[in-house]
Amino acid sequence: MRPLPGTSTGVPPFSLAGGMMLLLITLLVLVTMPQAMAQAETEQNGIQVPNPSAELWRSVRQREGALPGRTQVQGVDSAMLINPYGERWRNFRMKELIPYGGYALGGMLLLLLLFYLVRGKIRVNAGLGDRKLFRYTLYERTIHWFTACTFLFLALTGLILLFGRSLLLPWMGPELFSLLASASKEGHNLFGPLFGVALLLVFFRFVRRNIYQKGDLTWLLKGGGIIGKGHVPSHFFNMGEKSMFWILVLVGSVIVGSGLILVFPLFGQGRISMELAHVSHAVTTLLMIVVILGHIYIGSVGMEGALDGMTTGYCDLNWAREHHAEWAERCEADGDVLDADEVSQRRGETVSGAAVSTRESSA
Amino acid sequence: MIGELIDGPLWYFSLVVFIVGVLLRLFSILRAGLKPDLSPARGGATAGALRNLISRSIPRRDVATRGRMVLVAGYLFHVGLFALLFFAQPHVDFYAERITGFGWPALPYWAFIVSAEIAFIGLLMLWLHRLLHPVTRLLSSVDDHVGTGLVFLVMLTGCLALAQSFEALRLLHLFLAELLLIYFPFSSLMHAFTFTFSRSYSGAVMGRKGVNA
Repeated sequence: MRPLPGTSTGVPPFSLAGGMMLLLITLLVLVTMPQAMAQAETEQNGIQVPNPSAELWRSVRQREGALPGRTQVQGVDSAMLINPYGERWRNFRMKELIPYGGYALGGMLLLLLLFYLVRGKIRVNAGLGDRKLFRYTLYERTIHWFTACTFLFLALTGLILLFGRSLLLPWMGPELFSLLASASKEGHNLFGPLFGVALLLVFFRFVRRNIYQKGDLTWLLKGGGIIGKGHVPSHFFNMGEKSMFWILVLVGSVIVGSGLILVFPLFGQGRISMELAHVSHAVTTLLMIVVILGHIYIGSVGMEGALDGMTTGYCDLNWAREHHAEWAERCEADGDVLDADEVSQRRGETVSGAAVSTRESSA
Repeated sequence: MIGELIDGPLWYFSLVVFIVGVLLRLFSILRAGLKPDLSPARGGATAGALRNLISRSIPRRDVATRGRMVLVAGYLFHVGLFALLFFAQPHVDFYAERITGFGWPALPYWAFIVSAEIAFIGLLMLWLHRLLHPVTRLLSSVDDHVGTGLVFLVMLTGCLALAQSFEALRLLHLFLAELLLIYFPFSSLMHAFTFTFSRSYSGAVMGRKGVNA
């Protein structure tokens, strides 16, 4: 470092002149502060002049309810100067939806982690064998994964839009976050209708097998066998899966409906309708994500053999006996049990295999 | 700096690779020629070629039943992509500015969005079918997945940049489109051009033999 003029070390000395200057400034501040404070106090307690427009603006704000006025401007809500519900909606979003939504998602993840630590992976007691049952057709697996892809994309982009300002903005900075938020919004809006299509395909394909029947309540009362060691017999779909299906269909319909109201403001929906649509969209979506987290857990790390049916189309016979006993018994009685080699042949995994099953290939 | 590269030199480079690559591939197919067929013709080869070119777009009844999902998804994807590629307003403007010097009527915004929706439905369904169907999974190579993935990413970044508010999103879309252009001539995506050759060839051979196939 280059020494400063007048010094030998380069470190500025605390000279006498500098010290004097600092002392003078301190004295000046101490002398003038009481005067300044007194002046500020006088100004605060000065003459109160009421705002002559206060009454007018109080009326305009219409806190008690929406009161449209008259205007020549044609359009939805154009006669309403200020939407009184806007502030309520904003407060709900910022002070309730975002924090409580975050708690719900975090709580579910924590619950699943705790459950995994306590219960571990639910194994097939008899072990995975070499005999299989055909469970899902190619078409069923395709529409399942199509729904999964669209839902995950929508969930991710939706969560960025909802929580991004709190979680990502401080970390990313405004420029990168605004880009991400804009991309998420456009992607979310475009993929939304795809989820509606997926929902329709899933509904028509699976509805018949998801109608509640005798024995489902027993399954529910025994906790589905997931708590404890015993297994509860069930049909092709158990009560949990059926309930999951109906949640997907019913809650999913609200999500799609409210989403369409938000994306296409072409049918005269005003700001209040949009706010209600937003609230219902966000609440139902958070509920759906929480449910889907449970579904993903069971289908992946939570249960041995559960994913096979949706990836290969075939499930293990022992798994089916333990989790869908009534369906497995019916399949065994009908002679639908296949050995592993036969399944490999049907899936084209062995060279000597016959042509792929028309049942699997057909939609 | 990167933006200028994507918007300028890389765009022209990818366009040249695409055009030259496609022409070379097509030329190599044409140069391979045909073996002389000395048998007496029982029908017209040209008529057979033209008939096959069109009739192969209409599935046979049994195929339409067994492969309904692939058929529907295939049409959704290709029709949607064609509409997006050539009739989306931002693309028409881009072609007019960079390539043709003139524009043409574009789709209204709602039709543009519908095209994107159906293209995405078709592409996702076809890709999932490729992954899940035991036969197509075995037949599919890395090239098929790379091609499909690139097309998907180009479409996705295009939809993410719909607001046209962020230059970075437009550049990302353009960059991926340029990668696709470079990859195109050396991949199975060439079927966009070569399908006419394969259909016409089969149709001509069968037409000459007098076979209604």
